[in-house]
Amino acid sequence: MSSMQSVLDPQGPEAAAITTLAWVMFGGGAAICLAVAGLVVMAMGGGASVRRAIASERFVVWTGIVVPTVVLAALLAWGLVLTGGRNGAASPQALSVEITGEQWWWRIRYLPGTPDAVETANELTLPVGRDVELRLVSRDVIHSFWVPSLAGKVDMIPGTVNRLRLRASRAGVYRGQCAEYCGGPHALMSFHAVALEAQEFDSWLANQRRPATAPADADAMAGRTVFLKAGCHGCHTVRGLEATGIIGPDLTHVASRLTLGAATLPNDRDHFRRWVRDNQHLKPGNRMPSFGFLAERDLDQLAAWLGSLK
Amino acid sequence: MSSGTRDGRRGGRPMREGRLRRLLPWLPRARVLLRLAVLAFALVVVGGFLTIWSGVYSVAASRGHWPGFELLLKFAMRSSVRTHAFAIDVPPLGDADQLRRGAAHFQQGCAFCHGSPAGPSMLVVRGTLPEPPDLTPLVPTWQANELFWIVRNGLKYTGMPAWPALQREDEVWDVVTFLRALPTMTPERYRELAGLAADEPPASRRDDRQALLTACARCHERDTTAFPRLDLQTEAHLLDQLKAYAAGHRASGFMQAATAELTDAEMAWLAGHYAARPTKTAPAIAPEPSHREGEALFRRGAPELGVPACEACHAREAARRERAYPALLGQHAAYTANQLRLFKSGARNTTEPARLMATIAGRMTDEQINAVAAYLAAQVPLPEGERNMR
Repeated sequence: MSSMQSVLDPQGPEAAAITTLAWVMFGGGAAICLAVAGLVVMAMGGGASVRRAIASERFVVWTGIVVPTVVLAALLAWGLVLTGGRNGAASPQALSVEITGEQWWWRIRYLPGTPDAVETANELTLPVGRDVELRLVSRDVIHSFWVPSLAGKVDMIPGTVNRLRLRASRAGVYRGQCAEYCGGPHALMSFHAVALEAQEFDSWLANQRRPATAPADADAMAGRTVFLKAGCHGCHTVRGLEATGIIGPDLTHVASRLTLGAATLPNDRDHFRRWVRDNQHLKPGNRMPSFGFLAERDLDQLAAWLGSLK
Repeated sequence: MSSGTRDGRRGGRPMREGRLRRLLPWLPRARVLLRLAVLAFALVVVGGFLTIWSGVYSVAASRGHWPGFELLLKFAMRSSVRTHAFAIDVPPLGDADQLRRGAAHFQQGCAFCHGSPAGPSMLVVRGTLPEPPDLTPLVPTWQANELFWIVRNGLKYTGMPAWPALQREDEVWDVVTFLRALPTMTPERYRELAGLAADEPPASRRDDRQALLTACARCHERDTTAFPRLDLQTEAHLLDQLKAYAAGHRASGFMQAATAELTDAEMAWLAGHYAARPTKTAPAIAPEPSHREGEALFRRGAPELGVPACEACHAREAARRERAYPALLGQHAAYTANQLRLFKSGARNTTEPARLMATIAGRMTDEQINAVAAYLAAQVPLPEGERNMR
């Protein structure tokens, strides 16, 4: 079974361990269920000696107290080791990423607190085979970070830093989802985790550090003017431009992402246009107002420019 | 023991059954009475309908009411207003700017029926029933909340209209402020408050552009903070606003009344006229250190609340902002603050740009609204030569 968002198809050691645990629990649960059913059948239809054995105090103590205690304690210990292991000291090569849950999107900072820090949004790009150390925080309410293919859920709680270490073993695109109801369009607070081979990742990160590319044609040039005249920079940063808003997602390389609106829409010019004009219809209640009053031509040009920000 | 308490012939219940039984002989008579009542009711309904259908009752305004009927109607009106206005809280009234706005609107929207200190009502309205009363002796008989309710909702069957924009309660309070000052107002004071020139006829008739302009100038060319400054805005922006008012897309009892009858050509001409008028470059109020909070909001916003910098949209130069975004630098503080409160409360959210602003104002605190409005009032706007440059 293979999919972008499946606990049954782990793509990293964290998720694989959880999947193993899940299968063991499922298998164990099935075995216990069968055993209990067998005992019920024997208790009803077995011979007198069998029934006497089942009813004996010794049998009840062993199967009713000792076995469940041992099984549950073992599962607890295993689960603690499995999930607690993520909080251990990071390896020196680990990539540090801070993810902030905001209503209703993800602010993502690479190498936070270093001079090389770079911000992006709604897409976690990570190198294959290398530990990634996530600092999970929230700006407003409780969110929960969950990429089923890579790791278990970890809540993002205001005022607290939760850590999660994960690793992707194979290149690919995996889907993540806010897993704690966080109001309004919570269902549309998703993202993608994109695992790239080490070299590709390095060039991706180097590109993210660069300021926005200059407009390539007249349309894009005009689109940049529309962006500034409409006041988009009040909320959005585009590095290299006088656009330093920090309320919404950083758009410096927005066209390099797979989706718009936190995995609400595919990322192409047409959807960009629709998002700007009509986002309150597409993702009702999100914090960005719709800009339906912009002229059609202005919307086209704006979408052309934003679509060029690779 | 339990069977004893269950015995129906003991305790209180048999007594009650006994009383009911004594009523039984009356039951057939009660049925007769009920039938008679139903019959009488049907006769009244049918008879009433036939009377109305026959048309013998005259609806002529010229004939007046039957004796006593007018008293009954007034009693009903007074009672209804008193009850409906009971829970309305009266905000602080008596601000000089409120008085000016109220007077200016009274002149435009009320005086032709009710008359004013500057002149009598129009002859044609005096034949209505009831005739629109002179308000001078009536105002003291109402409480402020009752006046508010009447001006906002109008009065059924009297010809008194409701406020054109029900969500603009701020405007209605302006009129109430004026009404309460009306009984003791001299004609000279009224003319001054309403912006009437000494020689202007009280009910101005629009027959040429000069008269058209006079109607606007009564408010917008006066040296007062009661009305928004127009000498900051571009022609395109002014035209958009005139059209939005005229079509009822931007809610304002004052401005909808002022613009509803304008033709497109008149609106275009007015927008051009006001966009070309010289800018008063002296700031309305002097800059103060206390404006720093407002300046910070204007330049950087309040990101922690999701409030972007005002400047991002409301740039100083028209070339750097959408035509839907007004110029703010130099605007009167009271106007800016009032509009932000309207945005915040949802009273101004009927156009798409207004919804955009309503989203942002909804995140602002009242202190931030006042701070940024005060800062803006102390700023120097662009001179007229640069105002429209795109």
